[in-house]
Amino acid sequence: MSTSLSFTFVCSLSNGIHARPASHLAEVANTFASECILTNLRNDAIAKVRSVLAIISADVRHGDCCFVQVSGPDEQFAHAALQRFIGEVLPGCDVPLAGGDGFARGRTLPRVLQAAGVTGSFGLPVSSGFARGKVVIVSGMALPRGLQAKPAPDPEKELERLKRALTTVCGRIRDKLTHAISPTAAAILQADLAIASDVSLSEKLAEEVSQGQSAGQAVMEAGEFFISVLRQSASEYTRERASDIQEICLQLLGEIYGAELRVSAADLHEPSVVVAEALAPQQLLALDRRYLKAIVLEHSGTTSHAVILARSLGIPLVVGVKNARVLFSPGQEVVVDANRGFVVSNSANPVQRFYEHEVTTLERRRELVARHATGPAITSDGKTLEVAANASSHEEVVQAFANGADAIGLFRTEMLFLERERPPSEDEQFAIYSEAARTAAGRPVIIRTFDIGADKPAPYLGLAQEENPFLGYRGVRVYAEHKELLQSQLRAILRASLLGCIQIMAPMVSSLEEVLEFKAALSEAKQSLTIMSVAFQADIPIGIMVEVPSVAFIFDQLCAEIDFFSIGTNDLSQYFFAADRGNPKVAGLSKVRQPTFLRFLKQIVDQIHRAGKWVGMCGEMAADIRYLPLLLGLGLDEISLPAAQIPECKRRISKLLAAECQNILNRAIACVHAVEVDDVLDRQQSLGAAQPLLSEELVLLESTSQSKEEVIQEIVDAFYVTGRTEDRHRLEESLWARETVYSTGLGYGFAAPHCKTEAVTSDSIGILRPNRPIDWGSVDGEPVGMIVLIALRNQGSASRHMQVFSMLARKLMNDEFRAHLLAVKTAREMVTYLAQQLE
Amino acid sequence: MKIVAVTACPTGIAHTYMAAARLEKIAKNLGHEIKVETQGAMGVENKLTENDIRRAQIVIFAVDIEVEGRERFNGVKVIQVSLQEALKNPEGIFAKIQR
Repeated sequence: MSTSLSFTFVCSLSNGIHARPASHLAEVANTFASECILTNLRNDAIAKVRSVLAIISADVRHGDCCFVQVSGPDEQFAHAALQRFIGEVLPGCDVPLAGGDGFARGRTLPRVLQAAGVTGSFGLPVSSGFARGKVVIVSGMALPRGLQAKPAPDPEKELERLKRALTTVCGRIRDKLTHAISPTAAAILQADLAIASDVSLSEKLAEEVSQGQSAGQAVMEAGEFFISVLRQSASEYTRERASDIQEICLQLLGEIYGAELRVSAADLHEPSVVVAEALAPQQLLALDRRYLKAIVLEHSGTTSHAVILARSLGIPLVVGVKNARVLFSPGQEVVVDANRGFVVSNSANPVQRFYEHEVTTLERRRELVARHATGPAITSDGKTLEVAANASSHEEVVQAFANGADAIGLFRTEMLFLERERPPSEDEQFAIYSEAARTAAGRPVIIRTFDIGADKPAPYLGLAQEENPFLGYRGVRVYAEHKELLQSQLRAILRASLLGCIQIMAPMVSSLEEVLEFKAALSEAKQSLTIMSVAFQADIPIGIMVEVPSVAFIFDQLCAEIDFFSIGTNDLSQYFFAADRGNPKVAGLSKVRQPTFLRFLKQIVDQIHRAGKWVGMCGEMAADIRYLPLLLGLGLDEISLPAAQIPECKRRISKLLAAECQNILNRAIACVHAVEVDDVLDRQQSLGAAQPLLSEELVLLESTSQSKEEVIQEIVDAFYVTGRTEDRHRLEESLWARETVYSTGLGYGFAAPHCKTEAVTSDSIGILRPNRPIDWGSVDGEPVGMIVLIALRNQGSASRHMQVFSMLARKLMNDEFRAHLLAVKTAREMVTYLAQQLE
Repeated sequence: MKIVAVTACPTGIAHTYMAAARLEKIAKNLGHEIKVETQGAMGVENKLTENDIRRAQIVIFAVDIEVEGRERFNGVKVIQVSLQEALKNPEGIFAKIQR
């Protein structure tokens, strides 16, 4: 054997040699028979260049000097090729990845936490609330209990299973590669492929199996080994690659265990925060609800079934938290703040203090909201809007009415049909529907017949895989083929109809023909019940979902046939714009607040109303409180949303003016861009009767706040629990924006923080007197013992309130006035005194 | 002494008026005659007339932003301070004027 050849190089890649450059490098090395060894001279890490994992593990950072040694039969060629590649090609292998965390950008923690040096991981809050708990990572990496203990008697067989799994996974990635939609996607797949076909991985797997591990255990062990190595890297890029390995290992486990693995869910024993890449609805339902306090997902989709389910169950959920599974370790105590959209570690004292306050604030806020939950939702000018709930289980129906729902606007039934061997029997369905009807106690329950397509697992339907299931064989379209399934569901609904006010709704209707067929099926079900002498509500109302745009052209015909309509905005918008809402590149197109879509909605509602029929909305748009003015402007008869949001929604409605909402809708319709619609919504003045400038709840004497941050937070919270702000973050930031110009500490131990912002619903004064003086960075350097906060809603013109504010500002310069504020004993006294002084 | 002043701050909610009150009070204590124009969230109030300005021996700008209608004060002696200065040490401003 000849002597080896070698060369050195300095890494010029700014993110070091992470997975993508490493996969290219390994690719070159793999074309030769020679052994190529890289030594990172900074840390003496040695790596086989043929192994991506080994290269990554060597943690080569920008500026590191490396030594490469090549020996073997074709060493001259290999040496030359590697040297050329590292010198010329490698530096160009690091094109930054496109896309990413749009909504996480520019987000900040509450000032109190910032001041405490806490860092948070941001995401998009999709189901509100906050909760503390210990991290439980649900990655599918955890083997189901039964499988863990399974012995592996025959290593040969286990190795065979592993090889098969590796081949299949590699094959699948190669297959995806040929369809990759962009160079970025292709590069990522290439890196995945490199890991899946890595020699270090297969060596490690073989080693584990030879030690008596089963194929599954070997994957777990090997995965954990490489993940732990990568997690130690200084480069964030490399640490991120840990999730690539996890992904590959998950795919391998999926291959090895097949269906057995799918039902795997974590066992929860204490208050827990479940962290996962993504969750299937069945996985979520399998988690012990007593201990499931919050969910954090890396996947950023906001309309998945798991998200919808979590929302309806009131489980706080933040999605799109990058690398959550790597950033948080199992057992770590964290707080998930799904009101603000971040996750922080709960170990620091200020975090605990902050959330103790938060518990009280939210409790008081709930009381405020609950006052509005009972009774119908009526706008300030007297228009009633029915506020119903979406539900898919009895549990959710109960929660809906407890939260003040006027009805169940959408009872989804497909959950009853999924992930099981056989469809539910007629009696099983009858039990569920009658339970819902009884709980509703005379209030309407709209039951939607099953909406199943190729994207949902219901094996007994025998639905073939489809290229594009959302445009495929689903909903009402499968009813002709599965006639008996529909008949049994219709009979179950009819039988339950005597127990309450049940209505039937068909999904995915696109033509009059389908409506006529559906009606014929219903007649048939009625007939068979009549023959069996089973009683039912003969004139049970029939409706359809408005989710395929074609129905918008036949309302004249449809209104002659059916009783009501419910708009499903998720599908309607994506079909209307021909833009897949799951594809981030085009999802923006199908935003429901696109002016074009708003026009379409207006046409739909107007046409249906002209025919004297009823129209509601049950899609995600109805669940977004920001859009309420638009929905009221449309003149919908009903909106149906997750139960947890009903009290707040009803409260908001009571603050709005229906007449002004029509103007808001008209302005929105006239816009060109969706962002302009946001602007229109932000600017809306329709907030109903104004509140007085000051009330006793806004006078906080004997406050225990210990810092400027806490003082501002406490006053902002007081605004929130009295309904003076809906957006604490924005109000807080407006106040701080003013503080950064220069401190509002005006001397004499007084501070007068203030801002002009649309984040307050009405002009307000907040007063806080702390037990201990607070450092405010005042002009005289002295701490403050009295804080008078002024928040003005930006109304453009000079207002009466501004006169009061200017009078207050002037008075603060008056010694006697200040002395009086310091001497006041009670909140009531303060309000009376100020009212007198500011007459 | 006859003095006129203008106060103005970015948000125009608090400091404009606090500074005005402060300047008025100190001037009164020192026996000066003062008129303060505020340029705040309510727009220009207590506007200085041409006559006011002509009669004034000195003009104080206690401002953090551009004074509206600055040309009105051409040819008059102007002393400009920040609003913070006017709140922190108004006596100092008057001492400077008297010197």
